[in-house]
Amino acid sequence: MVEFKPLTYEALQVGEEFVSDPQLVSPEDVEAYAFAVDDHHPWFSEDSPFGGPVAHPTFMANQALRLRHSRYIVHGGLHAKMEFEFREPIRPGMRVRSRGRVIDKYERRGKPYMVTEYVTEDENSTVLVRGQFTQMLFRD
Amino acid sequence: MAATTSTSATIGEKLPDLVKDVSQRRIDAYSGVRPRSIHTDESWARTKGFPKCLAQAMMSTAYVSELMTRFVGAGFVKGGTMSMTFIKPVFAGDRLTVHGVIKERRPEDDRTRVVVDVWCENQSGEKTAIGTASGLIAG
Repeated sequence: MVEFKPLTYEALQVGEEFVSDPQLVSPEDVEAYAFAVDDHHPWFSEDSPFGGPVAHPTFMANQALRLRHSRYIVHGGLHAKMEFEFREPIRPGMRVRSRGRVIDKYERRGKPYMVTEYVTEDENSTVLVRGQFTQMLFRD
Repeated sequence: MAATTSTSATIGEKLPDLVKDVSQRRIDAYSGVRPRSIHTDESWARTKGFPKCLAQAMMSTAYVSELMTRFVGAGFVKGGTMSMTFIKPVFAGDRLTVHGVIKERRPEDDRTRVVVDVWCENQSGEKTAIGTASGLIAG
């Protein structure tokens, strides 16, 4: 049972860790993502150099970005920076989850920011994507 | 669309631009429609000081990813990197142009890593995101 609480700069702790629930990568979700970003590369639905279709490289980015939603009530903020290392292709049929850790928080020009490092893995703990992101928190 | 892999690309060479119309429908599909979301609830976006809904900044990373996959091919899907800073909001209805200019080539194992300066501009010519991306090519 998760006890959700509002996300505030004060409540957030550097070193805090998050883990998402696993998500089954379905062909329909890959197609929906392709629609959302208007990128219908044939590798997303047909064969690719990796043997079979793959998802868009940034397909699971929102799973990582929403890690803090696994514990906090978040009514938004602004995304300031994003880094990716694409280690392995994401394929339909994988069960994928992201883990993250808050590595910094700071205030700049009166606005609060948090920095999270993350990794997205398949069910065998193979790293698919890793990186870090910086988000500005809304005060209310 | 076949991926374009350029083993002869030179530093300073410009990649073909990518143009993206960022509709509210695509933002909804990307972010999921939720109340109290600056991406999909216009009245909430206004309470946060924005004239209309904002596209998730992550959509711009997907556009850069498309630019790089077209250019580098499989060496971006496996072995690619991207580092972006979001400097201006992208609003529903904006038209973004994604640019790339080759910044560096360096050997990495038995291949070459090509580093590209990338940025997105809106229809007014304002930069909305800047950064670098890289991928691996043969040679």
